[in-house]
Amino acid sequence: MSRGKVNPWLWVAGIVLLATLIALPFGLSFSQREVAVLLVINVLLVSSYRLMTLTGEWSLGHVVIMGVGAYASALFSKRLGVPVPISMLLGAVTAGAVAALLSFPLFRMKGFYFLIGSFAAGEVIRLIWKYFTNPFGGPKGLKLIPGFPDIGPISFFEPLPYYYLCLIVVGMSLFFLYRIERSRIGLTFHAIHWQDKLAESVGVNTFSYRMLAFVLASTFAGLCGALYVHYIGTINPNRFDVEEMVFVLIWAIVGGTATFYGPILGVVVLTVINEVILRALGFDTARPMIYGFILIASVLFLPNGLESLVPKLQAWRTSRRTAPEGTPASEEKA
Amino acid sequence: MSDLILQTIVNAVYAASYMSLIAVGLVLIFGVMGVINFAHGELYMAGAYVVVALYAESGMPFLVAVVLGLVFVGLLGLLMEISLFRPLRDNPLGGLIASIGFLLILQTTAVLGFGVRMAHIPPPTQEKIELLNGVVLTHQRLLVIIASVALLSLLYLFLHRTKYGWAMRACAQDREAAALQGISLSQVSRLAMFIGAGLAGVAGALTAPLVSPTPYMGHSVIVTAFIIIIVGGIGQLEGAIVAAILYAFVHTFVTTFFDGVIADITGLLLMLMVLVIKPTGLFGAKDRV
Amino acid sequence: MSQAILEVRDLTRTFGGLTAVNRLNFSVSPGSVHGLIGPNGAGKTTTFNVISGFYAPTTGQVIYQGKNVSGMTTVSLARIGLIRTFQGTTLFKEFTVLDNVKIGFHGSVRSTLIAQVLGADREELAAIEKQADELIEFFGLADLRNELAANLSHGHQRALGIAVALAAQPKVLLLDEPFTGMNPEETSRMMTLVRSVRDRGVTIMLVEHDMHAIMGLCDKITVMNFGSLLTEGTPQQVRTNPKVIEAYLGSAIDAA
Repeated sequence: MSRGKVNPWLWVAGIVLLATLIALPFGLSFSQREVAVLLVINVLLVSSYRLMTLTGEWSLGHVVIMGVGAYASALFSKRLGVPVPISMLLGAVTAGAVAALLSFPLFRMKGFYFLIGSFAAGEVIRLIWKYFTNPFGGPKGLKLIPGFPDIGPISFFEPLPYYYLCLIVVGMSLFFLYRIERSRIGLTFHAIHWQDKLAESVGVNTFSYRMLAFVLASTFAGLCGALYVHYIGTINPNRFDVEEMVFVLIWAIVGGTATFYGPILGVVVLTVINEVILRALGFDTARPMIYGFILIASVLFLPNGLESLVPKLQAWRTSRRTAPEGTPASEEKA
Repeated sequence: MSDLILQTIVNAVYAASYMSLIAVGLVLIFGVMGVINFAHGELYMAGAYVVVALYAESGMPFLVAVVLGLVFVGLLGLLMEISLFRPLRDNPLGGLIASIGFLLILQTTAVLGFGVRMAHIPPPTQEKIELLNGVVLTHQRLLVIIASVALLSLLYLFLHRTKYGWAMRACAQDREAAALQGISLSQVSRLAMFIGAGLAGVAGALTAPLVSPTPYMGHSVIVTAFIIIIVGGIGQLEGAIVAAILYAFVHTFVTTFFDGVIADITGLLLMLMVLVIKPTGLFGAKDRV
Repeated sequence: MSQAILEVRDLTRTFGGLTAVNRLNFSVSPGSVHGLIGPNGAGKTTTFNVISGFYAPTTGQVIYQGKNVSGMTTVSLARIGLIRTFQGTTLFKEFTVLDNVKIGFHGSVRSTLIAQVLGADREELAAIEKQADELIEFFGLADLRNELAANLSHGHQRALGIAVALAAQPKVLLLDEPFTGMNPEETSRMMTLVRSVRDRGVTIMLVEHDMHAIMGLCDKITVMNFGSLLTEGTPQQVRTNPKVIEAYLGSAIDAA
């Protein structure tokens, strides 16, 4: 593939994908449309999580940060009367700001210590929500959170319009995330992941870049929380507990985190399995167990995630191999 | 007031005893295998449900159920080692993720087998000792304290007096060097996993009549255990015990005199502080050259 | 002799009760190749790590361009032109040769983060890529430009390591055992390379275990033993100094 020219098939695939996404809700039942709304939000959630992992640190606080965005946006709109679209942005900004503050203690740690530290920080935030009934509503959380305002005849109370709203917001966010990764910043994130000492030796301030990745990822997670809360209308601290974090981890691990599309693949495939197959079989209570088995099986047998199947599939479809281009770590990761 | 303080001390000693069992198990697993076992809280839960099944529902003697709880959960640990941690030996993050998968499986098994509601266990004994006027130590709690001290002493003797214990400590120090010395890593890992899980299981079994088990009880236990092993220094067995005592006292006192949520926050902040100031733990090794 | 570009004054570094470096003094002239050698455990690596900002000195100072830089971090030192390399083949192995060198140009980037995300830094990226290509050419890696660093031969990886450091626009380049583990052919190629880097106006200080490898390269050599200065001089002076021979023989006996 020559540089600058986009493979025409990619255009075709993109248009087909877009058409599918637009047409999708019409083939779904009401409850499936609700699931589709959450799926679109979760796509952004797991993609933002991946941005964080680019620097090599795995956080266990991402879902709590999403909650920060949700609580902030809910409170701005409910208590202060800020219009919902603006409160959503404020929610995202609040999540980013909290992440910036947390960077100072957390990025003194690495690896396991960071993992545990981010977990502890998240739990502290959740306990604060639980403890302070004013303004967070305590263990019962917040109710009657205003929804997205109607635009003319379109009511965002319905899943269908909200699905399109999310599609637009998430689409734009994903484009932004993609741009970050493909820019010099993304290259620097990868560099810090693979050899932070070498990066420092040529003047890369690894703390600032780790913080940047964390703040950006958290801002988008906060946006996810805001999108979520104004659709569901109610939140409580347990919505953002470690079990929910486990789901994000599962999506990312099962999909794979080496490529931009890996985690998206993970969340889409697992949601479809969950909603279509498992729901049809009626295994409601057993679902976490099946998730557990999927998680274990993917770590054991598909350590590079579903995304690692894609190149194999491509190789099978066409004998021609395209030369790796751009960010190398996104192509092949051991 | 002094009675309240004394009662709180008694409560803290009880909490410290079973928390030590859990934390020492987690540290042992981490030290020998280098993997953080996220399912440790669920192993504790499994121990409690062994008592629910054998003692509360089948009428077996309590102590027999406790011993079987230790063995059963130890075997669960063995299963984890053989099926998860050994294939993932070179992938510590993979081991952690797999243990999360195992956690979900154990939790769901408990839900399917016993329901989501709290299990009620009739206390094996209602007797209690009155230490001072109003300061009470129930026999059940005394049993937990005695059993914990006994088990930890046994573990100490095992680690310091036997060949296997020596091999285990060598692995915890430096796995590669231990392997070069001819120590079988697989054997030591299996042993560590059996003992580590068994300790969590026996803690769950012993405390089951005092806590009313639920399938989700592991969550707060793993949080507590993390705090303890971080404060004590990851991989430090003695540190874990000291940290368990410290944490139990802080948590029990803050709970009694303020509030449970504040106590949880205090514990987590304590851990964050240690992570920031001295990540090797209060009792961990000093910075090496 | 012109004023020193890098100077170590009364440098001491202890670890617990152990004194790794003891009241060390030496100075590096601009435009020179300066060697720091000594037998195993002489404290040269500790000295190197103090100069490159990895450790702070216990007492004493590191002076760079007339300014006290003791205790500054590696990152801040890199910003003012004091760049270190690493032992062995420390590289971004998962990156292409080009991307490795591009990261080296980190300090040259002027575009704001937002401009970078929006792609408004296209011109700057192109300029950096052009400079990177020149460096890659200079180090004889042009054919391997799009190869992953992990796939390079050992000698090429070492050359790339220096290319990455050079991309960071050093005034002083600190090389950590650049010849260790090299065969004679690789060694002579690396010597040529180091000379040509010096000819670009970069002052070079290198730490080396192998005394012979750098005899032909250095303008001045500082010899350490047991954490202190043993002697200092031209390769000729050092080579014939009986104290140096004794120190090396002693360590050879220890090692045997």
